Amino acid sequence: LSENPLEEGLSLRRTPDPCALVIFGASGDLTHKKLMPALYALMVRRLLPPRFAIVGVARTEADDDAFRNDMKEAVQQHARDDFRDDVWEELAANMRYVATDFADEGGENKLEQLVDELDKENNLGGNRVYYLAVPPVAFATIVDVLGKRRSNAKGWTRLIVEKPFGHDLASARDLNAMLEEHFTEDQIFRIDHYLGKETVQNMLALRFANGIFEPIWNRQFVDHVQITVAESIGIEGRAGYYESAGAIRDIFQNHLLQLLALTAMEPPIDFTADSVRNEKVKVLRALHTPGPKSVVRGQYGRGYIEGVEVPAYREEEGVAPDSMTETYVAAKLFVDNWRWADTPFYVRMGKRLARRETTIAIQFKRAPHPPFEETSAEGLRPNVLIVHVQPDEGVSLAIGAKVPGQGLQIRTVHMDFLYGGAFRTGMPEAYERLILDTLLGDGTLFTRADEVQEQWLLVDSIVAAWQRDRPGFPNYAAGTWGPPSADDLLHRDGRSWRRH
Amino acid sequence: LSNAAGLERWLGEDVTLAEVGRAVARLRADSAVEGMRTSVMTHIAWVPEPWLDKAHAALAGMGERHPSRTIVLVPDSDAGTNRIDATASLERYAIPGVEQNICTEVVELRLLGTRAKAPASIVEPLLISDLPVFLRWRGEPPWGTPELEQLVDLTDRLIVDSTEWDDVPYPYRHLVQLFERTAVSDIAWARTSRWRMLLASLWPGIADVRTIRVRGTAAQAQLLAGWLRSRLERDDIALEHVEAERLEAVELDGESAAFPPGDPPLPSDVLSDELDRFIRDRVYEDAVRATIV
Repeated sequence: LSENPLEEGLSLRRTPDPCALVIFGASGDLTHKKLMPALYALMVRRLLPPRFAIVGVARTEADDDAFRNDMKEAVQQHARDDFRDDVWEELAANMRYVATDFADEGGENKLEQLVDELDKENNLGGNRVYYLAVPPVAFATIVDVLGKRRSNAKGWTRLIVEKPFGHDLASARDLNAMLEEHFTEDQIFRIDHYLGKETVQNMLALRFANGIFEPIWNRQFVDHVQITVAESIGIEGRAGYYESAGAIRDIFQNHLLQLLALTAMEPPIDFTADSVRNEKVKVLRALHTPGPKSVVRGQYGRGYIEGVEVPAYREEEGVAPDSMTETYVAAKLFVDNWRWADTPFYVRMGKRLARRETTIAIQFKRAPHPPFEETSAEGLRPNVLIVHVQPDEGVSLAIGAKVPGQGLQIRTVHMDFLYGGAFRTGMPEAYERLILDTLLGDGTLFTRADEVQEQWLLVDSIVAAWQRDRPGFPNYAAGTWGPPSADDLLHRDGRSWRRH
Repeated sequence: LSNAAGLERWLGEDVTLAEVGRAVARLRADSAVEGMRTSVMTHIAWVPEPWLDKAHAALAGMGERHPSRTIVLVPDSDAGTNRIDATASLERYAIPGVEQNICTEVVELRLLGTRAKAPASIVEPLLISDLPVFLRWRGEPPWGTPELEQLVDLTDRLIVDSTEWDDVPYPYRHLVQLFERTAVSDIAWARTSRWRMLLASLWPGIADVRTIRVRGTAAQAQLLAGWLRSRLERDDIALEHVEAERLEAVELDGESAAFPPGDPPLPSDVLSDELDRFIRDRVYEDAVRATIV
């Protein structure tokens, strides 16, 4: 009797190994708004390892109690679950803080001492997750120190790296090279939090768990695809970052290309990290560099959001009055492979648009020969399958239906599947899933080095073309759907952006 | 989870099923602007009158977790009259973060006199096409009777709670006859899952266990013993049972197993979990067979 016969049929959830999670940038926004609420949610659901310690690292001077109080407030303010003292006490029991700057000599010793102490007290087996929630300039020092220390450590080590991952292809390559000097690819978890969203993962379920979509998911039946990542907010005080990033680095390079890759990829042979990422990277490699006429950029001027007048981008604090940073990008992309040749993927993303919405719309070709009188099908539009990533998470299908009454009048109606309507368990936040996957060592929902580099290659080629001209910014009013030239991009092809 | 708000209720005495169907459709049409309908199953509950209050309590909020059409059948063969009385109502639940509601339908049918004898013919017209049918049977099923036989045949999953039965393990002989016809869930079994996980963690130290002593319901004691016998492939494991309202302690060869962590789940949570299962539970089936030594 070697295998345990009593385990058969029990729904044994995979529990992560005991470990310490070290968060660099513990005083930052991300830790307050996302990481700590996610850890609390995992604790509520008993998904954290039985022996677990959290160490916050930042430059701000504070002690353990002050850090715990700060984190408690963050949980009370941002967690999706009701605050429970018993859950919090359990989470906070092994929560410590180190005020240090790695640039100072010996700064890392304090941290190492503390983590070793916690390890001995809690028998963590030397397992470590390091979360780099710090600006990219700080990466190098931290990674270098961690890497050198790691060589004589027992247990496993994993590293979570937040975006932005580089500024262009060259810097991304340097970053990858630096990480690979000390860590192997399966130890590096590059976060693109869109991949942690339930609805983004549902794209895989929708495509590969249903027999009816995949046969028509190709150039024969799909007229074109539209991907929209629209935000109604502005830059929210992040001028320093946004001025040098713009929409193309902030959204296009990562979230948007990942959504496109999941939409266009071939079925993976299984759901292991490498199988899924191999298929995604093939799509990214097949992306044809768009010519200058196929890319539109924009910058918002003054306008109205929810009836309130908002300033132009150039009037935002910290933004240069003659800034040429784009807050909007639209592009026509082609995936040059057997499945998608000549099928345009129209993508658009921007700030201060009419509303917050992330959708992927697959527009199918029209019925080849509707046997109705022309007037009876006037209101009929082609079938569209829309994946609502946020808000109103779900899927809708636009179909033609007969209007009741005499004669034959046909109209387009929507069939909606709303996530919250069918499954009532509450949607986990992206960071809950991603932190748990890291603790379990599953890299499926993280981006691999070659994916990131392919994404930058495309961005670099688009940005290179931008050096040659100077568009008249601002070219769209806040609260609208972007510059008129974005509409022309589709009108030229006899198409238009989806109506909202 | 938010509470349901009943939209409207329709009551009818001595009704036909067509009238019930029309009433449900009308309620739905009236609420179309207020809520959308999403269903993942048809949920039938066979609830003799004495179980009705308990059934209502367990069903409260179930439509929210498992949007479905719920058909509650209340048989009363001794009513002295032969007819069906019905209530149909919609329950509406807000979807968090979205300005929409979902509506689920609850139809309660009182099957009076002879109308309780052929329930399949009553339920069939009300099933939602193509979705799985779950049947919750309150109390011990009347083995071999037409009403049970008929409903089992149209069900994808039968959910019982053998704690509600007298004289276990004897009724299990009848239950095993159903295993080839429909998947079976047993709430009594589900309630042992935390203990089974705990006992499994004691492997291989318990490979040679000779006696299991259980303080809990008779059904839980029988099922735990049957589980050990079937998993360890040994029929010489003796059971000692001490009656208690819920599973409180397990001893193996005189040694107490630690109490499993966490609180025992609520009745509605246990039922809700069973409504998420779609395949046969072979481990449970083996355990039931092994109770009959």
